[in-house]
Amino acid sequence: MNETEPCGCPDYTMTRRSLLRAAGLASAAGVVTSMTGGALTSTVFGSTDANVLVVLSLRGGADGLSMVVPHAEPAYHAARPSTAIKATQVLHRDDTFGLHPAFAPLSPWWGRGELAAVHAVGLPAPNRSHFEAMEIIEDADPGSAARIGWINRMIAGLAGPTDVMRGLQLGNTTMPTALLGPAPTLATGRLDDLTMPMHEDRRITGVLEDTWRRQYGGRNDLLGRAAGDALALAKRSATISSAVEREPANGATYARYSEAGAALAHGAALIKAGVGVRALAVDAGGWDHHAGLRWNVEDTIGKLATDLAAFFTDLGPHASRVTLITLSEFGRRLQENGSAGVDHGYGNCVLLMGAGVRGGRYYGRWPGLGEAQQVDGDLAVTTDYRSLLGEVLAARFPEVDLSQVFPGVARDPLGVMR
Amino acid sequence: MSGRLSAAVKPKPLTARNHHDVSRFTFGVNPAVIKDVRTRGSSNVWFDAQLRPTTIKDSAADAAASWFPRLAHGPGQAWSEVKAGRASAWDYGMDFTSWTLARRILSNRQAHEVMSDFWSNLLYIPACEDRSFPWRHSYDQVIRKNALSSYGALLRAAVVHPAMSGWLTNHENTKRGVNENLGRELLELFTVGRGSGYTEADVLNASRLLTGFRVRIFDGYDASYSPNDHWTGPVTVLGFRHANSDPDGRPALAALLTYLSTHPATAERIARRLCRRFVRDEPPGAIVKAVATAYSRSGGDVKASLKALRAHPEYYASRRSKLRTPVEDAINVARLLGMRPTGRGNDHGFVRQLVWMSESMGQQPFRWPRPDGFPETSEVYASPARMLRSWELHYALPGNWWKSTAMTRPKQASTLPTQWPRRLDEIVEHQSRMLLGRSADPEALRAISRVLQRPASARWRRASEVDPWHLIVIRGTLLNTPHGMLR
Repeated sequence: MNETEPCGCPDYTMTRRSLLRAAGLASAAGVVTSMTGGALTSTVFGSTDANVLVVLSLRGGADGLSMVVPHAEPAYHAARPSTAIKATQVLHRDDTFGLHPAFAPLSPWWGRGELAAVHAVGLPAPNRSHFEAMEIIEDADPGSAARIGWINRMIAGLAGPTDVMRGLQLGNTTMPTALLGPAPTLATGRLDDLTMPMHEDRRITGVLEDTWRRQYGGRNDLLGRAAGDALALAKRSATISSAVEREPANGATYARYSEAGAALAHGAALIKAGVGVRALAVDAGGWDHHAGLRWNVEDTIGKLATDLAAFFTDLGPHASRVTLITLSEFGRRLQENGSAGVDHGYGNCVLLMGAGVRGGRYYGRWPGLGEAQQVDGDLAVTTDYRSLLGEVLAARFPEVDLSQVFPGVARDPLGVMR
Repeated sequence: MSGRLSAAVKPKPLTARNHHDVSRFTFGVNPAVIKDVRTRGSSNVWFDAQLRPTTIKDSAADAAASWFPRLAHGPGQAWSEVKAGRASAWDYGMDFTSWTLARRILSNRQAHEVMSDFWSNLLYIPACEDRSFPWRHSYDQVIRKNALSSYGALLRAAVVHPAMSGWLTNHENTKRGVNENLGRELLELFTVGRGSGYTEADVLNASRLLTGFRVRIFDGYDASYSPNDHWTGPVTVLGFRHANSDPDGRPALAALLTYLSTHPATAERIARRLCRRFVRDEPPGAIVKAVATAYSRSGGDVKASLKALRAHPEYYASRRSKLRTPVEDAINVARLLGMRPTGRGNDHGFVRQLVWMSESMGQQPFRWPRPDGFPETSEVYASPARMLRSWELHYALPGNWWKSTAMTRPKQASTLPTQWPRRLDEIVEHQSRMLLGRSADPEALRAISRVLQRPASARWRRASEVDPWHLIVIRGTLLNTPHGMLR
């Protein structure tokens, strides 16, 4: 035995890259052919031209009153002496609302009616805890003790065979609550390394796959499920990594140093590659503005707008099947605090963008900001976020049974979807 | 070295009970831990000794501090270094993180390391964060000092620490403008939790008691207490009342923290979290109740709580049911393989690479972005992507495919039996007992035999004939069995 080549694969990374590139070029979109354990097998992905839902989570509790500004409310200007956005500054102003000026990159979409804003959305009862509020929003089934997220239930309700690529979180390998549950889902930071160990050697990979199917296959638990999904995923690693190697299309430029932008770029690549993505969750953090709201929120909105514009530009014709919605665990308090920031509040705004959106206008049952209308000093909620999500799912994923995804939620459409 | 465990053809694993104990309260059951348990007689005696960490010699782990000179910098010096462009908050955070991982690998005080991690993840402050980085290591010392004492003492020291003030912007919380950031997390995350029914007024009052702590963020990071900034006047928080008339509000705050730390809702929350870490994701109510009772009766004593946990039948019934977190996974394999850091190293330094290995599996140590700490449940770490990267890493580490520097590992012969010739099935059995504390899974033996294209009966005449590649396949395939993934 040769002592100088301990692993039998001397230039691991180089070999892997070139191999992936070759494999990526060889595989047709939608179908990957792989040699496994000596047998030639083909895996057909889920439908490649189906509708896609993108859920962008604005983590930290975004200040909806800075994003979609209630410029005509005297209470807003009075409560925020140093941080209110003036009526003369906002974009796309109507009698009640206007967009923060940092949303300028999204003006073309607003103008074409592909971007809408909904106000006073949130949980049915206030919860000013980041963690509980996020947990509740992503579980979305308060009546059940089972830890199954709403995206997982949505995926389970889609027609066709289940598949690990249907429900994805990009940007982070730790599973978010929304994806947890029995339907296969995937959370990952990187996409270029979803391979079996020693994947250059198909004989070895075949043995390992065979072994792990037997070792993990009998386990009806989360480890067994994760292993089974991992084996299915690895078969597709070449297609996935070649898709994300490509540059963004149509001159799309994502924000610099934006993790959400990087994740959205990967998402766009996977959607265009037709690998069967149906729901995509991406986190955009940095919205917890307890201090310095004015400058912080301008920066955060600017990044968000740049990334959203890039994402839909990048998608090109595929944008016609992609609908994006922003969610945040709660809005912020109306009154600014001692640090020129805003503490945790309640009602919030939601942005809807892309396919099926009846955009270019504001929606919601605006409760007003007068003292009698506030809930503990916060904007009230007049639209349950689950009702809004239900409206989107009904329009874009009609086969999904909403009573399974959001049990017990009355449908109360705002007409925001075509 | 005939005294070494691996010298035997069939090394004797610990009993299931003892193995369970040490697999939950160490970062990896290596030969040193096994020997320690055997010498002391049982894991019960071992655990009692672990609860007195200062009586355990720990020179190898202590030496690791000298690899990271920045850890000794006071806040003022750290800030000058950053201002002068010689280092960044990220450098300080990476040094702190690397040092922590080195300790977890090297320390003989494993239960103390595990409990320090547990509390550090509850009273969580990330590394590399701008408002807290010069104080992060000092904060860690507070956690470590109190990790096995009482939760009340730990809470009183942690909440007022300048790192906490910076991280949760309490340095801007004054009587002129109350900032609720820390006050809310104190009730929600660190003590009673939402279920206790506290109100927004309680959050406000807790926040008022927290006024007065100053840190000069982005300006030397000096910490002080300013009675002029403290909000005075009567406060109530749940059942706690205080006149709070003294401009020095620290005694009033300490009284609140003591009250909160012994509140029944806190006892239940701490007990549940301990059980999530050391029992299972959804621990049965009976064991949570038993731990909460012990916690309450002892006034929040950590040792008493752990004693009740370990004594409960549900603890033993939960063996091999927790999927290791990615960080635990990487450290566990390093310990099992005897890979020991010897310094900070460059970018390829072993401890730094362990950070990236953990990150690739879905958990970058001390970089969770929110105050609630990394989830204690296994399910969030069971992404298919994590599985693929764990499987890969379990071959990469035995092969040192990342070409780590600043690391030693045992000579191959010293990890194998002394009596030869040996058949493949015997070598696999030997390695399974060494790495997993149990007999080899027949599926794993079959896989190894197929990958190596040698029958189970193939013989090796001497240890030096075993090719490194053979051992990579044997070790990786054993570590990749379901039992290898679970603790």
